Amino acid sequence: MKNRKKPDDEQNKKMSRRDFMGAAAAATAFTIVPRSVLGGRGNIAPSEKVNIAGIGVGGQGGGDIRALSSQNIVALCDVDWRHAGGTFKRHPNAKKYKDFRIMLDEEDKNIDAVIVATPDHVHAVASMAAIKRGKHVYCEKPLTHSVYEARMIAKAAREHKVATQMGNQGQAGEERRLMSEYIWAGAIGQVREVHVWTDRPLQGINGVYWPQGVDRPKETPPVREGLDWDLWLGPAPERPYHPAYAPFKWRGWWDFGTGALGDIGCHSIDPIWRALKLKCPVSVEASCTLVNNETYPVASMVTYHFGARGDMAPVKMTWYDGGLRPPRPDELEEGQQFGTNGTLFVGDKGKMFGYTILPESLRKDFGKPPKVLPRSPGHHQEWIDACKGGKPAGSNFDHAGPLAEAVLLGNVALRPEIKEKLTNKSLLWDGPGFKFTNMPEANKYLHTEYREGWSL
Amino acid sequence: MRSLKRTAKRQGRGVVKKHHRANNVDAGLSRRDFVRAATAAAAFTIVPRYVLGGAGHVPPSEKLNIAGIGIGGRGAGDLHEVSSENIVALCDVDQRYAAGAFKAYPNAKKYRDFRRMLDKEDKNIDAVVIATPDHTHAVITMKAIKMGKHVYCEKPLAHSIYEIRKVTEAAREAGVATQLGNQGQASESNRLVCEFIWNDAIGPVREVHSWSNRPISPRGIDRPRETPPVPEWLDWDLWLGPSPQRPYHPCYLPFSWRGWWDFGTGVLGDIGCHQFAPIFRALKLGYPTYVDACSSGVNSETAPLASMVRYEFPSRYDFPELELTWYDGGLMPARPKELKEGLRFGNADDNLFVGDKGKMLGHRLLPESRSQEYGKPPRVLARSPGHHKEWLDACKGGPPAGSNFDVSGPMTEVILLGNIALHMGQKLYEKGLKLYYDGPNMKVTNLPEANEYIRSEYRDGWNL
Repeated sequence: MKNRKKPDDEQNKKMSRRDFMGAAAAATAFTIVPRSVLGGRGNIAPSEKVNIAGIGVGGQGGGDIRALSSQNIVALCDVDWRHAGGTFKRHPNAKKYKDFRIMLDEEDKNIDAVIVATPDHVHAVASMAAIKRGKHVYCEKPLTHSVYEARMIAKAAREHKVATQMGNQGQAGEERRLMSEYIWAGAIGQVREVHVWTDRPLQGINGVYWPQGVDRPKETPPVREGLDWDLWLGPAPERPYHPAYAPFKWRGWWDFGTGALGDIGCHSIDPIWRALKLKCPVSVEASCTLVNNETYPVASMVTYHFGARGDMAPVKMTWYDGGLRPPRPDELEEGQQFGTNGTLFVGDKGKMFGYTILPESLRKDFGKPPKVLPRSPGHHQEWIDACKGGKPAGSNFDHAGPLAEAVLLGNVALRPEIKEKLTNKSLLWDGPGFKFTNMPEANKYLHTEYREGWSL
Repeated sequence: MRSLKRTAKRQGRGVVKKHHRANNVDAGLSRRDFVRAATAAAAFTIVPRYVLGGAGHVPPSEKLNIAGIGIGGRGAGDLHEVSSENIVALCDVDQRYAAGAFKAYPNAKKYRDFRRMLDKEDKNIDAVVIATPDHTHAVITMKAIKMGKHVYCEKPLAHSIYEIRKVTEAAREAGVATQLGNQGQASESNRLVCEFIWNDAIGPVREVHSWSNRPISPRGIDRPRETPPVPEWLDWDLWLGPSPQRPYHPCYLPFSWRGWWDFGTGVLGDIGCHQFAPIFRALKLGYPTYVDACSSGVNSETAPLASMVRYEFPSRYDFPELELTWYDGGLMPARPKELKEGLRFGNADDNLFVGDKGKMLGHRLLPESRSQEYGKPPRVLARSPGHHKEWLDACKGGPPAGSNFDVSGPMTEVILLGNIALHMGQKLYEKGLKLYYDGPNMKVTNLPEANEYIRSEYRDGWNL
């Protein structure tokens, strides 16, 4: 692994823009300099293209790369070359890798930024490796696999002053801004209760996107061609290959994924987080179907309590998945769908379903809220702009880190060992201190243990 | 075996006994004959139960002659509870499951087919205890009621709303003593729930949460493809009873039928009858305005692994509108903040009442300090001599049992309406509806196809 140039070495040389960024990052590690000051000077010029490497380029990774194809896609890395085939084909000039560590070493000079769209359990190690090299990072949601990783990644990104964005692309939408603007304008009064749900892992009435509530398969089929199973496992504990994990169905497994909550929570809790200006929760609890130590439960409900924020009242947020939903509000007119995914804010003066104010009479009376939030040029574009010195992207890790932490805290509550104990208490969370204060044994689930040879 | 035992027992009972078997034209009316006569009379005039009671029933000094139908598992437990009486006949389609009860009551006559038993033993039976799978409750109960037998039937009262309505009406008309097997209703706890609420301990109640995480019977699965041979100890055709024909498989019995829609009624049907009893009683609930449901996935074969059902009840008497939410499969409401850390908020089963002035978990006021400060509410309800004893007393002319069908029938209808909402869950979602319900007319008013579930279809040869 090459060392990055130190700032003092650089004085005699013509600085490349990439070198300059490194310098800026080092300089700002101990002083707080607003991003905007660094922006214009330290980053890639707006007229230039960003040199991007993809890590995990099948599936959603392929989609992210497509969304960023106006830039230079210079390198592609995937442990499953069959799954990555389509993306490889679309970018024949990009260098191909299986191991992101080798790619980052070999392509260090050629890469400005990386897109991480691996399974959840690899997000943190890949993102951290890139951040430490001063690369800008776009990482798919959830930001990480463990609460600790989310905390550390956000911290590292802040220290290295790289441009970051989590892959919860909905955050860039118009409706998300309206949700905040309605709440801030007092359209439904003080909000003390929010509901948020997804039908995942269900797909339609009887299908599933991926199974949950199942046990580890006993068969040990040969590793499929094109897949480097050891690299796919990455930092996760060793286990034999099985198609039950890769590609895609890893989401349901504790060791690799983060369940329906991790998959969708970062999308759908995001607007709640913004509108209600949430910081870390003060408590979390959960109930669910039978859960084992292999996979997430078939269906779950997670309840978070948040304290007061400024003049905003304490709020209770309830998550539902696997087909569960909150009560359909009486104000919702018959015939209007309640949604397979959705959010419902319950205010003192009314309700907001998505960005629709309920009841309709209130919506009509209230009209449109004042437009106080700037609109987005698009989720991926936000990040590109930030890489080029623009303002931080909407879901930069200072925002996405705490959001992902909260989402992943819900999964701690769903751990079999913890869920059993929730009959006697809710988990009380000390966010700044990074610990549960009333159930020490839960703290180990804030971390993911890494295999030898892997570290953050 | 119209037994010597019975004859011996009745010695010294005088005229009625002596002419017991005689035709009622030329002999004094037997009490059973009297019940029939009274029933016939009552079919066209409304006669309060208590008028009939004392006269038409078995005198308290006598023992009842009881037949058990479905006598393994819970049925054996029920028989044990009434074993102070004469257990004269036993019926089960599963000789293996029934073996324990057969052994416990060696003098009882044994049957496989309840129809045959009731026909043959008509004269020897005063009352029946029914603990078959849900799908045969109604046909058995109805036949027994029509023969003037008192009925103790396990919960839920029947497999469909229509069956419940018909059985409840028939029991009322026949004037027989009835009791549903939700024995918790007889508890001190259930009375305290009522007395706290009626004494305004938590103010008007607008919200109740009720949950159960039992039993863990298989759910959320598909019909098996294998067709193993029917074991020699089982009469599969009789086990199916009125249900549609399907091949035998050990995944259905014993007990595990609860999760299969054709036979059982899921956790809601099973445990809801226990959990809802104090709620219905304390809050005087009738039929809901609407019901809504969601679940971890419903198929046409089995109940979901986990479900939530929400009922909205209109205001009634002095009570405001109420939202009642049911949870099963491990789901439960959020822990009330009034419940101090360390106090159990278990997922096994419980009820949480949310009033304008406070909360109550089961019959415990929250927080603990409130409970201590409040003490006990005034005692306004009579205490129970025991759930089975209530029924035995009613059979002998005492007051109606606490969960007689006039009480438990409408409640069970509401419970099974929840299952219809679960069946319709996806449709409700797609169409953006809640299920509006016209209770008196047993009709879902805004989703006609839901009404197909009001009544179970019977196989040829079976009727109510």
